[in-house]
Amino acid sequence: MASFGWKRKVGERVSKTTVEQFQQDSEKVDDEGDVEKEGVDWLHVIKRRREVLLEDCAAKSKRLKDEGTLLAEQGRNWEALKRWDDALQLTPDDAVLYEMKSQVLITLQEVFLAVKSAEMATKLRPLWWEAWQTLGRAQISLGEVELAVRSFQVAVHLHPSERLLWEEDLGWALQLREKQQALRERATQEEDARRLLVEAPELKSDYDFEGDEVIEACTAMADRQKKYEDLKKTAVVVDTCGVTKEVVVEDDNKPTSSSQSALVKARGL
Amino acid sequence: MSTQYSILFKQEHAHEDAIWTAAWGRNEKDGSETIVTGSLDDLVKVWKWSDEKLELQWTLEGHQLGVVSVDISQNGAIAASTSLDAHIRLWDLETGKQIKSMDAGPVDAWAVAFSPDSKYIATGSHLGKVNIFGVESGKKEYSLDTRGKFILSIAYSPDGKHLASGAIDGIINIFDIATGKLLHTLEGHAMPIRSLTFSPDSQLLVTASDDGYIKIYDVQHANLAGTLSGHGSWVLNVAFSPDDTHFVSSSSDKSVKVWDTSSRSCVNTFFDHQDQVWSVKYNPTGSKIVSTGDDRAIHIYDCPK
Repeated sequence: MASFGWKRKVGERVSKTTVEQFQQDSEKVDDEGDVEKEGVDWLHVIKRRREVLLEDCAAKSKRLKDEGTLLAEQGRNWEALKRWDDALQLTPDDAVLYEMKSQVLITLQEVFLAVKSAEMATKLRPLWWEAWQTLGRAQISLGEVELAVRSFQVAVHLHPSERLLWEEDLGWALQLREKQQALRERATQEEDARRLLVEAPELKSDYDFEGDEVIEACTAMADRQKKYEDLKKTAVVVDTCGVTKEVVVEDDNKPTSSSQSALVKARGL
Repeated sequence: MSTQYSILFKQEHAHEDAIWTAAWGRNEKDGSETIVTGSLDDLVKVWKWSDEKLELQWTLEGHQLGVVSVDISQNGAIAASTSLDAHIRLWDLETGKQIKSMDAGPVDAWAVAFSPDSKYIATGSHLGKVNIFGVESGKKEYSLDTRGKFILSIAYSPDGKHLASGAIDGIINIFDIATGKLLHTLEGHAMPIRSLTFSPDSQLLVTASDDGYIKIYDVQHANLAGTLSGHGSWVLNVAFSPDDTHFVSSSSDKSVKVWDTSSRSCVNTFFDHQDQVWSVKYNPTGSKIVSTGDDRAIHIYDCPK
């Protein structure tokens, strides 16, 4: 008698495909039930939907961020930017996204956008020193050395134990500042020399053309002209040790800026 | 005397940029009170506090980069300042002239503090050494080694027996000054300690950290006596009232809080700054508090008696 049982017999008689079909159908019904529950629960529907949406945004943004990071590591910078812009649509307060965007924009030489992006990062997270470091680097690329010196100082003040920040970023910005000052001094020197040539004091007095005075005046003017030409011929150069020198320029071949392979650092992954 | 905490005076736009540090001193000779401020704009400014208002006395130029820390000697005659340019400068507060400039070496001038007898100044360094300079000699006299990380904060105990240093990794070291020995190493916080201060009776040490907590230690036994929470972000500065009963803290959450020492509770919160508050100090009588921050303002508060 042990072989008899309704249940087992019923099970055996129902074909496998029918069982599967039934299971799928019942699962579907469950799914629909969930959706319906959400839809029908109209009293709480707004709140619940927003929660669901927020969760989605954070997760989606994270995925886009990671994708962008991978793309940036492969040098596909524009695609990375696109991903991070999409992510920022979902999580507009994410300072890390702005900061990474700025790094990539610097490598793409989109320096103005890089500064804007880094500024957003420092605004959203003012105590994050790396955002200030990136802002400083973007500002240097834009030629705003004075602003970069400030940004690097803020970064150092927040995180003084970072040696590279002192030695490379702040040190570099200070060298550039020194160079700018030297150039400015040169410009005024040159301007002064030029003015003396044009409005030479010797031209204003009358001369006895048979005396020695006129020869002296001519020599003085020739000297001045020579000095001006010398000034024109030399250029101010700051060597790698940060020593400012004046060198004679042979021709117009300006040293091409060494395009260092800038690394993009992934943040907070 | 006032009966409640209130803001007394605001000096807006006191510097061209963030004010990172401030000190309040009293001249022994004429009893006049002086506030010294240091800013990211490379300047040190000296203000006279009289008739319940601030008057700019000197603008001290010399530092090439932002001023990180200032202190005033006990007799109120000399101010010391350190800057990101790695120089320690001493200033005559009466004449507004620079007395000395000391090159501390790269990265080696951060927090600065006068010894209670004002013969020495101590400053932290990046290798975990506390360097002691002679005020008279202008030279490094000796150094105390914590064998730790970058030292962000320094304090002398008012009785002159101890020196405490707080490091960027949250470690606190307490030295015996007479022997130069390291007495205690406390793993106080897990994050940078930007400020610490002894109570006027030298019994307690209060520390402020980026973890948002303030801790109180019993110096004698190196015991943790209390942990205070209340700030919503980094605690940037702490200072004790001269009467031992209260201390004050400032934070990057833009607030200044006054704490009762015995009950270990916050008795007042000032929310008057627009930005991070980097520095806070009591005046020598304990009746006023000064605070400065990223909003370039100097605030003076009244304390009840």
